[in-house]
Amino acid sequence: MSQPDTLISVQDLAHTYLRGTPFEVPSLRGVSLTVAAGRTVGLVGPTGSGKSTLLQHLNGLLRPQEGTVHVLGDSLTDPSINIRDIRQRVGLVFQNPEDQLFEPYAGDDVAFGPRALGLERDQVRERVRQAMEAVGLSFDLKDRLTSQLSQGERRRLALAGVLALEPQILVLDEPTAGLDPLGRRSLLDFLSSWASDAKRAIVLATHNMEDIALLSDDVYVLVAGKIVLSGPARTVLQNADVLLQSSLSLPVSVELSRQLRRRGLPVSTDSLTMDEATRQIEVLLRGDS
Amino acid sequence: MNRPSRPSEFELVGRVTIGQYLPTNSQVHQLDPRAKLLMVLLLAIGVVASDSLLGLAILLGGVALCLVSARIPLGYTLDGLRPALPFLLLLALLQILVIPARGPCLRTVWEWAFFSVTDRSLLAGAVLALRFVVMALGISLVSFSTSTTELTHGIEHLLRPMQTFGLPAHEAALVVNITIRFLPILAAEAERLLKAQASRGADFGPGRFGLLTRARKLLPLLVPLFLISLRRADQLVEAMEARCYLGGKGRTNLIQLRAHPRDHLAVLATSMVVALVVYLGSIDVEGLILSSILPCPT
Repeated sequence: MSQPDTLISVQDLAHTYLRGTPFEVPSLRGVSLTVAAGRTVGLVGPTGSGKSTLLQHLNGLLRPQEGTVHVLGDSLTDPSINIRDIRQRVGLVFQNPEDQLFEPYAGDDVAFGPRALGLERDQVRERVRQAMEAVGLSFDLKDRLTSQLSQGERRRLALAGVLALEPQILVLDEPTAGLDPLGRRSLLDFLSSWASDAKRAIVLATHNMEDIALLSDDVYVLVAGKIVLSGPARTVLQNADVLLQSSLSLPVSVELSRQLRRRGLPVSTDSLTMDEATRQIEVLLRGDS
Repeated sequence: MNRPSRPSEFELVGRVTIGQYLPTNSQVHQLDPRAKLLMVLLLAIGVVASDSLLGLAILLGGVALCLVSARIPLGYTLDGLRPALPFLLLLALLQILVIPARGPCLRTVWEWAFFSVTDRSLLAGAVLALRFVVMALGISLVSFSTSTTELTHGIEHLLRPMQTFGLPAHEAALVVNITIRFLPILAAEAERLLKAQASRGADFGPGRFGLLTRARKLLPLLVPLFLISLRRADQLVEAMEARCYLGGKGRTNLIQLRAHPRDHLAVLATSMVVALVVYLGSIDVEGLILSSILPCPT
């Protein structure tokens, strides 16, 4: 069926909201996607393109109406699989997860998952400590009221709540939306270090092209429920025609290189991050003088 | 109607059919909202005042006819009733078994220990179930065929005479409007929370555990839901004040409601049918029919 290092494989997935009612809304129309171990997969697309719907299929919140979804060897079409086990191994972090904290105390909220798994007190405590420290929150904050934390802290707390399940795959929906630059930076740093373990994988949906450029190995462009372009990040993010047509923007570095080239300067457009672009420009300046 | 195979245990938004508006632009949709409100009020009077099975069946037929002419799929309407069905059956069963029926001549159909089922109690059970169905369908019909704006204007107009007694008609209509508007929003928020918690190992499968565990698992859902609604209410107030909303005094409407002959006709027809149904109940038409077929046991 798939290579051993394929963690998630989606084939011709279609989904229609409110199917069988007068309010039918087609959301996905035949999407295929593969997530391999050790990879960070970026999913870009304008608002309403079906990104969130696709993500909800990856941990079985939604079951395939048409097509198949295989997660860690299990087919989600099979009603007899252990869906809670899949949800534990595929950690899904929703958009604005800080709105979904429900326990009064920070530590209890992180402990929700491990407790639902039925772990012992000590194990729960250990998981909470590890998860909170992983996202850069001091373990002492566990006794703080969640309402007293800042927005950035609360988002990290929500992320810790998912990490406490010790998932193998992390699925994130717009993780940096609404964060200040520092909060965004530290979250991206955390994600890239988390993904450095070769057994793990990340799926990241966003329309922030900078996040995608910084983190992704593979990129899928989703427009109106269809994948219009996919491949290694470096190839996809340089395809300005498709990206701009899809109401997306280009990463700043790619845009910069394009503008420079248009003015006749010999830079390549394949620099994905600002660091790469800076280096190119430095070379250019040195060559000129 | 066939439900798709296992759509999702979380699709809450789709399940809230009441309060939905189905813009099919039919004759029923074009009726004046005030006429429709009056008609559903008359329907309510008929449903409550008459305990005739035949009468209620006539009302059901009338509502079904309106649903068809409003081009609303019947299956979709009935889908909205489905969650209430078990309770309805239970209530009807209690009515039949436990509540003693009264009447001049009772024919016992079945007897066991304390229970005795008579023709009258069977009738009463059927009437109870039918009352609920007729009323639910009637209300659905109005909500399917009337937009929230129309509904609010209609309510405001109908309440206006009460202003002389100090009832703030505009504000009352606004409350109704906001309530209806917020239903789908809250359903969407609840769906989001359910999904987030299920992703973290909570088990929300339908009917997989007892009532108490169910209630306990709902608590982590209700707390953030309350917070979200309070926050939304706050934002709504600010948004309204930012647009200089000052309440009902001196407000004019963009859309002026104008009643047409067909609106008068519709209300008139409804009142006649309801009058007939109430009359059927008052002469105890079922009792008459039964007596003409079966002799009274002595």
